[in-house]
Amino acid sequence: MFLKRYIPIGIVAFFGSLTLFGWFIDNKSVEAFINDDATQWYDIIASFAIFLGALNLLKLQFLKVIKRQQGWQYSVVAITSFFFAFTIGFFMKGAFFVGEDVYFTQKAAEQAVLVSGSSESVIPVEWGAHISAEGGLFKWMFDSIFTPLSATMFALLAFYVASASYRAFRARNFEATLLLLAGIIIMLGRVPVGSLITPWMVMYLLVFVGTIFMSTYFRDRKLIFGSFVLGLLGVTALGINMDWNPTQPAIFFLPSLQEWIYTVPNLAGARAIMIGIGLGIIVTSLRYIFGLEKSYIGDQ
Amino acid sequence: MDNKQIQTYSLGFLGITLFTFALTQLPDSIHIFQSDRAVMFALLLIIIMVMLNEVKQARISSDSIFLRTIPGLKAVEEAVGRSTEMGRPILYVPGIMDMNEVETVAGVIILGHVAQMTAQYETSLDVPVARSIVMQAARESCKEAYLTQGRPEMFNEDMVHYITDDQFAYAAGVNGIMQRDKPAACMYMGKFYAESLLFAETGNSIGAIQIAGTASQAQIPFFVTACDYTLMGEEYFAASAYLSRKPELIAGVKTQDMVKLMLISFIGVALLSRALSDLGLTSFNLLTWLGL
Repeated sequence: MFLKRYIPIGIVAFFGSLTLFGWFIDNKSVEAFINDDATQWYDIIASFAIFLGALNLLKLQFLKVIKRQQGWQYSVVAITSFFFAFTIGFFMKGAFFVGEDVYFTQKAAEQAVLVSGSSESVIPVEWGAHISAEGGLFKWMFDSIFTPLSATMFALLAFYVASASYRAFRARNFEATLLLLAGIIIMLGRVPVGSLITPWMVMYLLVFVGTIFMSTYFRDRKLIFGSFVLGLLGVTALGINMDWNPTQPAIFFLPSLQEWIYTVPNLAGARAIMIGIGLGIIVTSLRYIFGLEKSYIGDQ
Repeated sequence: MDNKQIQTYSLGFLGITLFTFALTQLPDSIHIFQSDRAVMFALLLIIIMVMLNEVKQARISSDSIFLRTIPGLKAVEEAVGRSTEMGRPILYVPGIMDMNEVETVAGVIILGHVAQMTAQYETSLDVPVARSIVMQAARESCKEAYLTQGRPEMFNEDMVHYITDDQFAYAAGVNGIMQRDKPAACMYMGKFYAESLLFAETGNSIGAIQIAGTASQAQIPFFVTACDYTLMGEEYFAASAYLSRKPELIAGVKTQDMVKLMLISFIGVALLSRALSDLGLTSFNLLTWLGL
């Protein structure tokens, strides 16, 4: 009980306090510990812990194949890929230089020397450098298999953003309509065509949105229609009065409007959330340091 | 707040201010204090003072602390119940970062509470993780939860399993689990980056009830759009207190609110001071005086 409960809490309290209050101490050793040593210790522990993860992964994938569970074929691919990368990384240098040319195997490099009849010798890459050697087997595997696969997953985001935006931008209520309007303004204001749209068009658009807003609170059709027509007439009258000046009223010029939305209401909301997050992190960290929160060591 | 508390806080503020001032005035031979960080040091001590005092008060009587309903956390139990009724598992993703991120630690803590519910309802729980240390911590948390609920036989070590450290490979792995196992509920609690929308949209496509919680500001809009419930920022850090109902944890939430109130007041005073200074009505500017 003592070993399992109090020692971990003591370690967290000591190192947490040291890291927190060390930031206010003007001492090179303390600074070096906080900025370098502590993080390096963590990296070393995390590097060794990867064995636990790798063993767990292999165990589950092997079990899936043995028990022929649903989708076991994917597990075969996972196991093969694991051992493929493991073998190349640990047991094969995979990069043999003949001048500026690089070959995956010593045999291929020697053959190339024989075929070309050059006097150059085959120089194998150093261990350690073999995983990042340009043209080497490991780097080739990384650049030609792993990176495109990661990029494929990343590219899926484009489609997911479209489907998520479609759901979010449906004008179901006032809030969603506001989001839709802000989204349109931001999108149009950030592309070249946005500066070609006159503020008058934006004002007509706002009359439409204003009418939608009114319709959520008032049911009187005559009142809503009357307001809509009045709004249109008002914008038209103002336009005629100002000779449909394409840069006036400046506040409704799309690039300026999107900049205002982005730097004023958006930033205000984001900062409010950020202050909340900051305070949450501080108080949560203090709860760990003072041993008030013990759930992370399994104490319910 | 009663008179005694006001007195305690006033004395505390005064003591902290004097202590910080004294530290900045130490002679050079023993001067190890970063004087340019004095304001932050004082603020940190004030937060600690408020927290410890509130914890003390809460231990005496926590009935007076009001904790507003957080729909996202209320929905956790609904989600577990739904999974039980449908006979499908619950998928819990504790983010993609390691235990050195406070969000991941918070995610593992919430996992403990979710595991208690799954133990009660006899629902299967699946926790794919992206870091080995998180795997160990999450296992410990789940094991303890099943033990406290008197269902140790239901705990299976492999319910928490490692996939990979790589961001998009992990996203592919979790999405594969979603597509194959069709969990009835998906919970995303931790630190997320671009993979957040990949998870949330896949979860949406399989019709799972989705609850997300993160302090990653850039990912909040994605979760809000694609998930049924989202714990935004501070709500996420209040989750542990909300679910456990422990007085000392609820006191932490109250501390957050009190410090927020202090900050709002400070922002108001600083704004007024700046405005008066800019208008030339006074030469004093609070922010300049504090060196901020």
